[in-house]
Amino acid sequence: MTRTTSGPNIRPNRGYGRWTPFWFLAPAVFTLFIIGIYPTIFALVTSFRRYNIARPRDGFPFVGLENYTSVLTDGTFWASLFLTAKFYITVLPVEIVLGLVIALLLHKTGMGFLKSLARVTLVVPLATTYAVVGLIGRLIFNRDFGVANWFLDALGVGGLDWLGSQAGAFAAIVIMDIWQWTPFCALIFLAGLSMVPGEIEEAARLETSSKWSLLKHVQLPYLMPGLTALLILRSADVLKLFDMVFVMTRGGPGSATDLVSVYIQRVGFRVFDLGTASAQAILLLVITILLSRLYIRVLYKEVN
Amino acid sequence: MTFLQLDNIKKTFGELSVIKGVNISASKGEFVVFVGPSGCGKSTLLRMIAGLEDVSSGTLSIDGKEVTYEEPAKREVSMVFQSYALYPHMSVFENMAFGLRMAKLPEDEIKRRVGEAARILQIEPLLERKPRALSGGQRQRVAIGRSIVRNPKIFLFDEPLSNLDAELRSQMRVEIAKLHRNLGATMVYVTHDQVEAMTLADRIVVLRAGLVEQIGSPTELYDHPANTFVAGFIGSPKMNFLTAKVTGADSTSLQLSHPAFEGGTLSLAHPAAGKAKAGDTLTVGLRPEHLDVAAATPRLRLTADFAENLGGSTQIYARTGAETVIILANGRPDLTPGAAMTAGIDPRHIYLFTPDGLAL
Repeated sequence: MTRTTSGPNIRPNRGYGRWTPFWFLAPAVFTLFIIGIYPTIFALVTSFRRYNIARPRDGFPFVGLENYTSVLTDGTFWASLFLTAKFYITVLPVEIVLGLVIALLLHKTGMGFLKSLARVTLVVPLATTYAVVGLIGRLIFNRDFGVANWFLDALGVGGLDWLGSQAGAFAAIVIMDIWQWTPFCALIFLAGLSMVPGEIEEAARLETSSKWSLLKHVQLPYLMPGLTALLILRSADVLKLFDMVFVMTRGGPGSATDLVSVYIQRVGFRVFDLGTASAQAILLLVITILLSRLYIRVLYKEVN
Repeated sequence: MTFLQLDNIKKTFGELSVIKGVNISASKGEFVVFVGPSGCGKSTLLRMIAGLEDVSSGTLSIDGKEVTYEEPAKREVSMVFQSYALYPHMSVFENMAFGLRMAKLPEDEIKRRVGEAARILQIEPLLERKPRALSGGQRQRVAIGRSIVRNPKIFLFDEPLSNLDAELRSQMRVEIAKLHRNLGATMVYVTHDQVEAMTLADRIVVLRAGLVEQIGSPTELYDHPANTFVAGFIGSPKMNFLTAKVTGADSTSLQLSHPAFEGGTLSLAHPAAGKAKAGDTLTVGLRPEHLDVAAATPRLRLTADFAENLGGSTQIYARTGAETVIILANGRPDLTPGAAMTAGIDPRHIYLFTPDGLAL
């Protein structure tokens, strides 16, 4: 093939022209540009402007870093960021541990049909839209007829006003997030476990009967790339977690569930201060990128 | 004294029966080789000894202790896998030390044992490397080293040489034999290669379709195969089989007729000759290396068909009717395709089998 293309006068009949690959890629690139790249650039530009659409007469002048300084000195922004961090470090360990336990159970041999059934079931929460998860959450944690309180009643513990109390509302969004994302962790870990070559697992079983040692010394290295991906996806996801919380609690009661995205939405679309909201969003993007780099640096290691 | 005992071991996967009742015993220090075509169950049997495969029925004991349902790690056996199965994220040292660390041995004892094994296997300069930086032969040594350091009751080998090239394979074969001699350890070795079986084994177990065909020393199996399967499997090139008619028999000798025999008949002294009677059909087995194209008294008349020059010897394919006879001849005999040729054989090297394949 290389000989035909290097000849000066021979044009290989490849059945497509030089621009054909471009046209195949164009729709995806175009879409990506419209819904991803353009808004990001727009937000970046907006973050350097005074951009309050409730006061259009002020115009949209460039104000340099003014928005950023006001965000960084805004106590509520920091509070919502810390709440988000608290949310993240509450849900993530639970999701990872539960996901790992489920993955290990599914990785065991035997019970083929039930296992495939369980694997399919795992996809259900993942396939559910955040907003719907929020709606389900409202039903589950309803004070009067929610299944959560019914369950507590059955246990002999009095019902809780979940969404009406500060601690209850935070617990509720934590539980719903764990419900939705544990299966994802389980699937990632299951994929990692199935990467461990059978003979290597067997070699280890001949040397130790401890399941814990097997997990720690032999299987864990194969789980690290998946875990890294998981941490990156989840941190990006938690930082922009909005729909589920908004539907369930609107950030309340008080500021009990006022995660950073909920706060940004309020600044942007209640106060209509798009300049500040954009600066906040850009800061989140920076945090996400920094966290990702950190995870990759610390955790990511391919097993060869 | 019996060190390893397999008692009526069976293995079924659902409806499928893979091992159909196997009895094997091995004494301490013995080198036992399981050999057979692929799918005969030899690897499954080895994995059952290791505890990696459940035993469906029967009992298994090691060193006088029943371990049929014991966990793999508690059986004190070690295994060298076909793929070597080294832990890819650990250095050579860590790979070899892993089992000892798990057994909570003191660190200086671990260092001593790993160092000793590395010295024996000549892999001392590689201790800090990761497995991916090793060649196939080096990985193999590390895998064996990992077995040695644990000082197991039994060494298990699952086709350990099949991933190596021919030269390295024969080199490692010699090393494994030396290792066995120096350690005096009990070893069970699975292979489909009869050369490995012949050269390494104290005793060979020939398996077919989940059943033991014959157990014996390499010489026993070569000289006295119990049936045509063993006769065909042990020895290379494969034994030739000719179907002959018995024309006469008494208690010490019998007469056979086949178009390839010199004069159409062959008279043969055989201790079991009395079992045959005139009119029976027998299978005559002739090993290629026993046939002599330059013999003074020819016994076979054949038509030369094809010759493969192996350098020091020649593998001749000769025809008689529809049957082909392979002859391994020294040097390079001058043959033209289609020409008539003769071959002689010492009558003591003629094997006889009944039509159902059993040795007469």
